[in-house]
Amino acid sequence: MMALPIYPETTPTKGYEFTQGTGYTLPEYPFIEPVELKTGEVHRHPIVIVGAGLTGLTFACALARLGVAAVVLEEDNTVGVKGASLCDIGYTQKSLEIFQRLGIYERMAAKGVQWSVGRTFAGAQEVYSFDLRQQNNFGQSIQPPFINLQQFYLEGYLVDRIGELGLTDMRWQSRVVDFAQHEGFATLSVDTPAGRYQIEAEHVIDASGAHSPFHAWCGATLTSHRGDDLWCIADVRFKTPPPAERLTWIEAPFNENRAVWQHLMADDVWRIDYQMAPNADLTHVCSQARVTERLRQQFGPHVEFEVIWVGPYTYRSQCLDRLRIGSVFFMGDTAKVVSPFGARGGNTGVADADNLAWKLAAVLQGRAPPSLLDSYHEERIEAAEQNVRVTNRTTRFLRPADGVERLFRAAAISLAMQHTFARQFINTGRMAIANPYTHSTVCERSGGLSVPNVRLHWADGSPGSVNDLLNWAGGDLLVLVFDDISDATCERLRQLSSHTPVRCVQVVGPHAQHLAREHVRDLHGHLQGACHVFGHAWALIRPDAYLAATGESVDAGLIQAVEHALGIQHETLRDRPERSAALSSTDQKETA
Amino acid sequence: MKTTLQALDVDTFYEQLLDSHVGLTHEQSDLLNARLILFLANQIGDGKVLADCVEMARDWPKAS
Repeated sequence: MMALPIYPETTPTKGYEFTQGTGYTLPEYPFIEPVELKTGEVHRHPIVIVGAGLTGLTFACALARLGVAAVVLEEDNTVGVKGASLCDIGYTQKSLEIFQRLGIYERMAAKGVQWSVGRTFAGAQEVYSFDLRQQNNFGQSIQPPFINLQQFYLEGYLVDRIGELGLTDMRWQSRVVDFAQHEGFATLSVDTPAGRYQIEAEHVIDASGAHSPFHAWCGATLTSHRGDDLWCIADVRFKTPPPAERLTWIEAPFNENRAVWQHLMADDVWRIDYQMAPNADLTHVCSQARVTERLRQQFGPHVEFEVIWVGPYTYRSQCLDRLRIGSVFFMGDTAKVVSPFGARGGNTGVADADNLAWKLAAVLQGRAPPSLLDSYHEERIEAAEQNVRVTNRTTRFLRPADGVERLFRAAAISLAMQHTFARQFINTGRMAIANPYTHSTVCERSGGLSVPNVRLHWADGSPGSVNDLLNWAGGDLLVLVFDDISDATCERLRQLSSHTPVRCVQVVGPHAQHLAREHVRDLHGHLQGACHVFGHAWALIRPDAYLAATGESVDAGLIQAVEHALGIQHETLRDRPERSAALSSTDQKETA
Repeated sequence: MKTTLQALDVDTFYEQLLDSHVGLTHEQSDLLNARLILFLANQIGDGKVLADCVEMARDWPKAS
């Protein structure tokens, strides 16, 4: 599949200005003349996705899996950035769980590299090491804590999967050049090799990246932070590969005592990030000669390697103030840019896509009112802001200001070498998590947490998982009721699932008896633990594997939680004056 | 955050604090203080108390 020409040079798209090295081999996808150009007619589509990067493709794939069609417009004819593998290389457990649901996890696991051991050094001394497998929160899921894989492979798998699902209209070499927002829909002008045409969309998903023209077209406001931290990133293949561990130097003796990252990707390629002096000349420090020199300093004078790709990177952060403006939804790098520490960039885009996909599917399929879509902003802005805050803290540790910031870092490093408690101060990146939703109007206070993809057993004893249950629910909400239930409860659940888009399943522990027609077995309590409940309880799980709410007895509280989870919640909005004020002021802006 | 005197032999502690800096360069002294703050933060182990202490030390003299 991926056996087409090599691109030693790149076009300066997607914010990466410069590359060297032999490059990667990328697939190419054909331009197919769309019906609009043949007939001259303008068609209105429920969903148009702009950008076939990781986020846009994940979104299209998640929609297709729920039976929803979409048009994807991508200016390029390939995945990734030509010749490069920037920017994302590491996929977290939550993302892997999402990709398992989408049907590409097996390919990722086969191609990618799993790692769990990380070592951190200052100078020649190891400050500490960790093993993700020994951290409890990663232990329950079927998916591993982390897989490293060049982004274009993943994007290629998504394109293949989208093709298999057969619902998405992929339009390559289609650049959006103009945009107008109207009441209830938008018009986009699209440039192609065969000419320009217009397309209308009820929902526009902007996943076109940090430099999206939609920011200006929509009048989006953003908060940004640009530091002076510069990095040179090199993708290298060694004749004798180092061990499959992630190594981090806070102060690397072979890099003028600045930071270095070293991680393994697929095809035995290592990604090595070198922190540069803040005032460095990027063209010089990223030249092949300087990179070669640096590699020899790090791995010894006789190391044999091939440099595949080199590029500079300026770490910065940027976050839109609103993730929805009228019919446009912003996701992935379009919504926010963070420094890549802790893999909080691409993984957040994947979660953005998974968050909106089920909501939009539920609205278009008549299961929920359009107000459900407002919760996309509430939930994902919280995640975006959290990720910006966390990565900015890491940036400050790795690039401390001269004076007292550097002093405290030196103190923290020296303590960490001797005392376990002080390792917590060493901030070389906090691994991305499934961000909790604490300010969502569609999650109760008991909800907002992600449910890991733990194992369970079907009624017939065969093995299954949370993802299997979600697939079975097919876009409906899932109510799990733990332990023994009464006849009356059973009847109430039957009523609930016949009147609302909800599937009810009894979860039977080692001792309980099943009464409900649909039941699964949770012999070791993993499912109950994953849902953060104990004993007699219910858990309302959304198609994105987030808890909407949990509770004890099956009563009006559950009915209300279902309504809230579907965005039926006028009273909640009234209860929160600031939030409803914020919404109405945006509405005014939109209609103005 | 406590602003009343604890059951602490203040004179002894103050003497220990001064003695610990004897013979150090300015830079070594700064590092000692930084290490000390990190140790003490872990002893206190309460984010709210620490935030109050940081604010109190920064916002000085306290506007009353």
